[in-house]
Order: sequence, then C-alpha cells, then structure tokens
Amino acid sequence: MERQLIGEIRDGNKDSFRKLYEAYSDGALRTAAGIMRDRELARDAVQETFIRVYRNLGSFDTDKPFKPWFYRILVNECNRLLRKQPRVVSLDRVCDEQGHQIAGKDREDYMDLYDAIQSLKDIYRIPVVLKYLQGFTEKEAAQILETNQNTVKSRLYKAREMLRKKLESGEGRVGLGQ
Amino acid sequence: MDNRDWDEKLKQALNEGTKVKPEDKEDVWNNIESQLYASHSKEDIIPMKRKRGFVKLVASMAAAAILVIGLNTQPGLALVNRIKEMFDPEKNITQDIEGSREEQNVQLNEGRDAEYVIYVDEERYEFVKVGDSDRIVPNPPLEERYPEVSMEIRQVSDKNPEALIEEMEALLKEEFADVTVPERVDNPVSGWTVRGLEGNSWDSRLVRVYVISNQSQGSFVITQRYFLEAEEGHGARFDHMLKEFHIVEDEDE
Repeated sequence: MERQLIGEIRDGNKDSFRKLYEAYSDGALRTAAGIMRDRELARDAVQETFIRVYRNLGSFDTDKPFKPWFYRILVNECNRLLRKQPRVVSLDRVCDEQGHQIAGKDREDYMDLYDAIQSLKDIYRIPVVLKYLQGFTEKEAAQILETNQNTVKSRLYKAREMLRKKLESGEGRVGLGQ
Repeated sequence: MDNRDWDEKLKQALNEGTKVKPEDKEDVWNNIESQLYASHSKEDIIPMKRKRGFVKLVASMAAAAILVIGLNTQPGLALVNRIKEMFDPEKNITQDIEGSREEQNVQLNEGRDAEYVIYVDEERYEFVKVGDSDRIVPNPPLEERYPEVSMEIRQVSDKNPEALIEEMEALLKEEFADVTVPERVDNPVSGWTVRGLEGNSWDSRLVRVYVISNQSQGSFVITQRYFLEAEEGHGARFDHMLKEFHIVEDEDE
C-alpha cells in the first residue's frame, strides 16, 4: 500500500501525501514529543520531517521498508533541533488532561515513570522511545540510530536500570538536566 | 517488577505522556501544505531533470577551446568532442546527508581559467568567481545569524601541497585554538587536510582546508567554511561536490 502511495506522491498527488501523513503523523508527533520533551519543538520536528520526506522520496528505495527510513529522518531532525537548544530543558508534558484512559493514582504513577524517562540523557531516552513507543526491534532501532545492535541493547538495559533507581529514590520529577 | 511488567509500564507511560492533540496534527499539516503545495508540487521532489545544462556545456566547451587555441592545429571540433566525452553537463550523485541517503542532480561548472571543473549542487548553491578564487556559496544566502558558509577554490601555481598545508596549518592556528594535525586523505580528494574549530556551540565556526596537487608544480587550495552544526549538512554537501572536482589537463601542452 505504501509503495503505491509513494508512487502517487512522486507523481504529485497531494491526496496521497495526505494519506501518508494521516498514517504516520500521530506516531511521529508522539515520538518527537518523547524525544524533544517540548510540544512546540516536536511539532517543528515533525513538520520538517514530512517536508524532507517529500523532497527525498525520489531517492527512497521502494524495495525497502518505509517506516525505518521515515523514522531515521525524524530522529535526525529531532537531534538537529536538540543540538540547537540549551542543554538544560524544562519538562513539558505533551498531553493535557483530556483523552486519558487511565485515571487517579495509576495515572500519577505512569506520569512519574514518563517524567523519569524524560530525565534520561538523549542516548538512553531515544532508544527507549523507539522501542517502547513505536515498537521497533533493537535491530531496527540500531538502523535508525545508525549504530550497532549491541549498543542499542546496552543502552536500553542501562536506561531500564536508571529508571528503576530513579523511581525507587522518588527521583521521577527531579534531576532533569541533560 | 519483572522485565515483562517493566516493558508494559514503559509502553503505557510513553503512551500516556505523549498523547497528541488533534489541533497539533492539523496545524502541522497546514504548515506542510503551505510549504509544499502553495505554488508547486512534484517539482519539489528530488531528483528532477534540468534543461539548462546544455547551455552550460556549451559555455564550458567554448572556454576550454579558447584555452588550447593555438596549441592544436584543429582545436575546434576535436576538443569539443573530448570535453563532451569527459564531462556531462549534469549528473545525478547519491549522497548521505544527515543520515539520509539522497540523490542529487549536480551541474557542471568550470573553474578559473578553465583549469578544473566541478559539479555543483545548484539546488542549494551558487558558483561565483571572486578576486583570484572561485567560491561556492549558499543560494539563497543564509540569514545573518549564521556564520559564513562557503567553499573557496584557489590555485597556487608555485607551491607544492606539502609546503602549502603547513602554511594553512599556521594560518588556522592564528585563528583557532583547536587545530588538527595535517593528514593525508584519499577522500573526498587525494591530498592533505587540516581543520580549525572555534568551540563546541552549535554556531562555532569551523574551517576545513584541503590541499591537492595541480598535477604540475603547484596546488589547489580548497577552503570550506561553515559552523559546527552544519558539519553534516553543508560540510557533507561540500565534500560530495569535491568528489566531483576534476583538473582539466590539456594533452597537447
């Protein structure tokens, strides 16, 4: 289906590009939010990603899966914007109070964990977002991050250990520098 | 908590923490739409074919013909054919830019005195002749808040690369605290390189110099200027263009 869409987009079909946007924008906005920790920056990253994807579709090999290619561009764009930001950022939860399926104490616990994830350094946080939000395998995450699989595996392990410690020490909402 | 519980909790926490507002999705689409579809559409998709290449080839061939006139009894057609065989007016190259593999259409430009040619990414840059050097600069120009971005190509006819790279190193040391030791390279050109860096912030200036033999007694000095954050963007694009740098030698000389 994607291959057909891509062919149509290459032919200038705007409706097809909108379909691709509908299919990928939700995941892209979530992923960018998880990486960027800032809603406005996440929007910027996603916007620029779709523009880059559109402009580079001519070089995309349709024999290969589209999703990892798309997310590689997204992660690169997020990294580019992150490098422009001050090294200490404030947490900005992307969500508001609407539309949540979990409420009360459970939701607080999840948000503590989310804050703890957000407090991880980029090199640990980004693999966590790719694996647990987007469901990429370690191999796919390694391809997206242009590193080897063992590095991703090791970073995920360390990230989980750091999260355990943060939660045990009640550190979820503090220590938020890079 | 075992690993499976952890995995589930991490998924749930990320799902909860990154909920998307519908208005964000629509706003982003509107911005994309206005950028991509306001005035044009599929022409934005790279690669695209250009039609003005032939004019450039003619210009290039004419200049090259002037160079060897008087050296060849039949300079016209023979040279034209040779140049035409050697250099296409445009070509597609594949390059890795900021992690993305992209195909780029590049156009033939002829250097000062027709002593070299280089294929330039004219989607993003312009080839200009300034003073005694040629420069490739962003087109349109960057905003003033960015440090200079350019690639200068200059020929020094009486100094070999080994001597010149030391001069370049000394010059960089006057300007930058962080200067690398000159080293031989085979990519993007075969010669020497040295690099000076201002600092570690995104806009720290970075100057990379390549020095290569001009196949005679002198050298070509190629000076790339950009800033730290642009290393994988402009820096990589300059290097890809340099791979398409060719010295024009007159076989009859």
